[in-house]
Amino acid sequence: MNIDHHENFRHTIDESLAGGVSADREQSLREHLDTCARCQEYLIASKRVIAGLRGFSFEVDPTLNARVLSSLRRRAQPGRRRWALISVAGVVLTIGGSFVDLRFGDLIASVFDVPRLQLRQGLLAFWIVPSLAVLLLFPLLPLLSKAGSRREERTQ
Amino acid sequence: MFDYELMSGAMKSDTRRIALGLRQGDAAVLEALVEQYQYRLVRYLIYLLGSRGAVEDLVQEIWLRVLERGSSYDGQSRFEPWLFRIARNIAVDAVRKRRMFSFDSNDDDNVRPAAASDEPSPFTLAARTEDADRLARSLETLEPAYREALVLRFQEDLSLQEISAIVGAPVSTVASRIYKGLATLRPHFQGESA
Repeated sequence: MNIDHHENFRHTIDESLAGGVSADREQSLREHLDTCARCQEYLIASKRVIAGLRGFSFEVDPTLNARVLSSLRRRAQPGRRRWALISVAGVVLTIGGSFVDLRFGDLIASVFDVPRLQLRQGLLAFWIVPSLAVLLLFPLLPLLSKAGSRREERTQ
Repeated sequence: MFDYELMSGAMKSDTRRIALGLRQGDAAVLEALVEQYQYRLVRYLIYLLGSRGAVEDLVQEIWLRVLERGSSYDGQSRFEPWLFRIARNIAVDAVRKRRMFSFDSNDDDNVRPAAASDEPSPFTLAARTEDADRLARSLETLEPAYREALVLRFQEDLSLQEISAIVGAPVSTVASRIYKGLATLRPHFQGESA
């Protein structure tokens, strides 16, 4: 057999180890390896390289996981802060709306010449009730979202 | 595509669970991922950088990026290529900032001079046998792109297509890097096999 022939089979060995060779060529390679000591040696040396690579074991600082998790938790905080800010805004708006109605309701009604009851209904419908809805519903949204995701997971 | 069809049912449900957990920023899922992949990330970065100086900082940055970009993982393919692509991008950016060297391999020249340093490389430190020590010395001089292809193929057991997606190079280039990496390391083991 000439050198090119062996070179071809050695290239097939490389391809086979890299995971990119067809079943036909793999079979042909196996047949060649049964009769060729030099190509067998090439394959054994390649496998020793791979075994050597797999044998390396690097030490990792045992505190690394804890440090990573701690920084992940810190980074996840803005989400919670956002929910807290929205809740505080809901409280302020609800109290603010009620305060405006009680304290300045008569004044506003006279300035804009609208009946007091109509003004109160307007404040309730467009200020106090939406603020209260924000206050009550926003904290529930993450829970509703999680429940939805769990249902989605079950259906999958 | 190569990945989804080949994944087993159990693997599919795992990747879906991971995708869902990342979308929701689920702390339990993140903790499990850190536990499972931390060492593999460290090992990949050591192979990529050839040193472990900045590895721990990079690992922290990688997990923060996973937290921020978790919603972009769709669970349709394996998690590892997605994670290693993030790791690679962060490592490449860090290296560019420090102007250490380029990861883009010059395929005509597979070996670059070892960095002048008195400190033993992480490979030498990890070597436990004479064979491993010889391998470590060769790895030190091997181009990062070749070391990367070798670790992803032979330690992470990723397919050529998956590695190609991580490194952003054609499959043929990845295969060529693996062949050349093996060719550089093999002479130490040839002519002495029992």
